[in-house]
Amino acid sequence: MNATQSLRQDVPEQGGRRPGGHGAAAPRPRPGADRDSAYWWEAVGEGRFLVQYCADCRTPRFPAREVCAVCLSLEWEWREGTGTGTVDGWTVTRRTFHPAFEAPYTVLRVALDDGPALYCWGCLVGADPDGLRRGRPVEAVFTDVGPDPADGGPTGGGAFTRVVDWRLRE
Amino acid sequence: MAGTGLSGAAALAGVGATPLSRDSGVSTTALACRAILAALDDAGLGVGDVDGIATHRVGDSSPPWVVGPALGITDPAWHLDQFGGGGVSHAVIGQAALAVAAGVADVVVCYRAINARSEFRMGGQGRAPAGAFDLQYQAPYGLLAPVQHYAVPARAHMQAYGTTHEHLGAIAVRQRAHAAANPRALKRDPITLDDYLASPWISEPFRLLDCCLETDGACALVATSAERARDLRRPPVDIAAAAWAGGHSTYSPPAPGGLGDDLTTSSAARLAPRLYAMAGLGPDDVDVAELYDCFTWTVVVQLEDYGFCRKGEGGPFAASEALGIGGELPVNTHGGFLSEGYVHGINHVAEAVGQLRGDAGPRQVDGAEVALSTGQPGHILAGTSALLLTAGR
Repeated sequence: MNATQSLRQDVPEQGGRRPGGHGAAAPRPRPGADRDSAYWWEAVGEGRFLVQYCADCRTPRFPAREVCAVCLSLEWEWREGTGTGTVDGWTVTRRTFHPAFEAPYTVLRVALDDGPALYCWGCLVGADPDGLRRGRPVEAVFTDVGPDPADGGPTGGGAFTRVVDWRLRE
Repeated sequence: MAGTGLSGAAALAGVGATPLSRDSGVSTTALACRAILAALDDAGLGVGDVDGIATHRVGDSSPPWVVGPALGITDPAWHLDQFGGGGVSHAVIGQAALAVAAGVADVVVCYRAINARSEFRMGGQGRAPAGAFDLQYQAPYGLLAPVQHYAVPARAHMQAYGTTHEHLGAIAVRQRAHAAANPRALKRDPITLDDYLASPWISEPFRLLDCCLETDGACALVATSAERARDLRRPPVDIAAAAWAGGHSTYSPPAPGGLGDDLTTSSAARLAPRLYAMAGLGPDDVDVAELYDCFTWTVVVQLEDYGFCRKGEGGPFAASEALGIGGELPVNTHGGFLSEGYVHGINHVAEAVGQLRGDAGPRQVDGAEVALSTGQPGHILAGTSALLLTAGR
């Protein structure tokens, strides 16, 4: 069984508890959420994919920032994102750098459909990476990575039990 | 060729290094001291002449406030403890040139000391991965090591421009051939394209032989005024230009002029025009180029972004004979990080100085007068920095 098959079995399409993700030997690293990004990660924990918009010039931005880089406005709002995008880049990693990620596995850089120059990363789940191309449509899935063994640690990431992965969209 | 800004104000007057290895057996403090003493000896100076000390590090090495006192340099007039990796490797020397040009310091030792194999391996092997700032969106997906970060733009470049594995392999093969003429190099046994293609995948499109060596060692350079350098022991090498360019995180927002959404272009595309303008030189004037080669593909993108070929033609150009010692643009004449060893950037500057002095022995580029040496070209949470150096008269 190759790892992409194991991903398909291990990663539920929506939520579901699977400590460690990927059925691997260790928990996945937590997102080191900060005071800009905490709200976004909390929403991911609820299975929602949000996109931040400038409340003045309406430019969407990712990741979360306090100030709009286009018009410098400090006003923003969160909107429900499409949760879809296209593959902009990827790599198939064939050696293990962390026990939570048993090689091989594929990480995608996804160009979000919500606007230009919005990029999000995540693992490819439920498909083989052969034949991946830039421009291939994908959609977000939420992967439960279980409780953080270092809850309360310096990253402050203990509250976030889900991360965003991606599957191919037909 | 009238320069502007920093051009010609400062020079490199001494070079020193420790042997390179996979296990130095000593501390980074010891490595730094050995390299600095060797560089001062090369210049004909002593620790009593030093009034500036500078390095960069990523929490992996001994800082100036330890290394200075270890050599009896307890009150430098100027010091720099720059956070960062290869992107700032050349900025350290550029900033030393600024300090000299401003009259804040007269003799600055710049060093980088790492036990990057035996103590602190890049990419977090055996350590908690960095997950702060933009890395919080990558670490949870197993995107942890530099080889992965560079694999993504390399793969995009292959798809956009038809760059091939054979193009990348030709870089690895040629740099190994260069290293065969370099007694300091860690890897001197020749390799073939078949060897390259048979080496194991690490993170596609990179194989083992696309990756730089994990190395223990240190290197140091002495920067002083161009005027003083002419009174010292060795032929001076002038800093014709030093330049910086802004960050190229993979999340750069769509600001005017932003390159953040183009994986196939590096921050070097922004740096190169100001570097050449400061020196009053252009790509055609460069006799030898030491291009930051953490992975083979960074050579490809820099050949394009520093103006040696058109965008998209870096792969075929890199695979051509042009990059050999006798070619039109010899690149990574010491074997680079791929085959000499990885001292995080500064050993490229050391090789450039050696070439401009005529010290490079069997790998000497005939008549080398202008050398380009570059830092990590961006893409990973960092800007870039580079130097244009000229043989002093």
